[in-house]
Amino acid sequence: MKKITLLLLITVLCAVALTACGSKKENTVHSIDDLKGKKIGVQIGTTGDTLAGDIENAVVEKYNKYADAVQALKQGKIDAVIVDSDTANVFVNKNKDVTLLSEGFADEEYAIAMHLDNQDLQMEINGALAELKSDGTLKKIKDFYDGDKSEDSDMKPYTKNENADRSKGTLVMATNSEFPPYEYVEGGKIVGFDVDMMNAVCDKLGYELKIEDMQFDSIIAAIQSGKADVGVAGMSVTADRERNVRFSDSYTVTHLVVMVRK
Amino acid sequence: MDLMESIRQNFIDEDRWKYLFDGLMTTLLITLFAVLIGLALGFLVAIIRSTHLKTGKLTILDFFCKIYLAVIRGTPVVVQLLITYFVIFGSVDISKVLVAILAFGINSGAYVAEIVRGGIMSIDNGQFEAGRSLGLNYRQTMQRIIMPQALKTVLPALANEAIVLLKETSVAGYIAIADLTKGGDIIRSQTFSPFLPLISVALIYLVIVLFLTHMTGKLERRLAANDRR
Repeated sequence: MKKITLLLLITVLCAVALTACGSKKENTVHSIDDLKGKKIGVQIGTTGDTLAGDIENAVVEKYNKYADAVQALKQGKIDAVIVDSDTANVFVNKNKDVTLLSEGFADEEYAIAMHLDNQDLQMEINGALAELKSDGTLKKIKDFYDGDKSEDSDMKPYTKNENADRSKGTLVMATNSEFPPYEYVEGGKIVGFDVDMMNAVCDKLGYELKIEDMQFDSIIAAIQSGKADVGVAGMSVTADRERNVRFSDSYTVTHLVVMVRK
Repeated sequence: MDLMESIRQNFIDEDRWKYLFDGLMTTLLITLFAVLIGLALGFLVAIIRSTHLKTGKLTILDFFCKIYLAVIRGTPVVVQLLITYFVIFGSVDISKVLVAILAFGINSGAYVAEIVRGGIMSIDNGQFEAGRSLGLNYRQTMQRIIMPQALKTVLPALANEAIVLLKETSVAGYIAIADLTKGGDIIRSQTFSPFLPLISVALIYLVIVLFLTHMTGKLERRLAANDRR
């Protein structure tokens, strides 16, 4: 009987000890300069990852997805998260205890990636993107995903044209569904700006779109090995990436921001 | 790109080999301490369980042990790792390596416990009765007669469990630990070439596992030699 009492006592003590440590950590990052020597969370293989690596003395924690990095930030395990502005806004809207620094980093352009040798596809996609830009479809899609989807009933996501020609076969799109509002899972389906845009592109070009969800840092490898035709994942054009994949014209401009605790 | 160029890009440029080296050290560190925790926990649970089976005592402790075994063996180690990091130590700023050591150690403990319990139960009950009839008490019988024989039986299986654990730690990257697998992933994310980083990570694991398997084999032969008197 003594042993059992002892065991119970230890369990209770452990539980108390754990919850007692539950105090929130104060935010110590108030400007980009403050990032020096701090623990910075990023998603592996993103431009934020590259950028954080150049910050003096900073410890870069490379998470597999932004959601985990934000979770760690909220729990005080890291001091800041470097993330693309549009995605940051989605996270801030959903999490009351995080906020963004007002100063951000330089502009970046998102583009569609494809195999270095696939010049024909690049021409086709650039043509389709130009059309979508001029007829306002791209703007409409962007407005839908930027807007507050719950209230505005007149805004609709892009609807696939069921009667479109699909004679050119399948176009496999590699993406990472952890990057709202560009691609995320809703109701068991991958949706988002990039998905709608690619549906519009495929409607124009006569492809059937097939989405392959994977880790962000595997997308370029998937394109290089021919497992995917295009990579559309809010992917910024960088010199390093351009040596490995061919990019279309850019379809949107964002920049990196710093997310911290309130 | 030819192979030499690729090797230079993946390992030498910007000292990228360090990701693999540091990752390997982290993997070994996690594995070593997780194995130690696993052994301590596993033996404890195994002794409680076998004592209960042999004598019918320790009912409540045995009940907790059964829950521990069921929960740990019934859930994937990745989920256990994430729970340890984000739920149990949710609001605590704790070293991630320590989290991984605890999670993998607790996980391994359940498997070790079953291996050791199997070893203890495999010793013929006659041995136990002989000990008792010589006037040894339960504890002495276990310590001096049962455990030495049981240990010999289970050592190879325990070594195997350590090997399995080493490979299982490759999911540590889920909580952003830069272990060996993650080290390869980091290189891959910078150079965009999947071949060399993945193959070299695989080779490093393989070499370690082959070495451990070799040592286990040696151990088994030594133990067997002892049997042929």
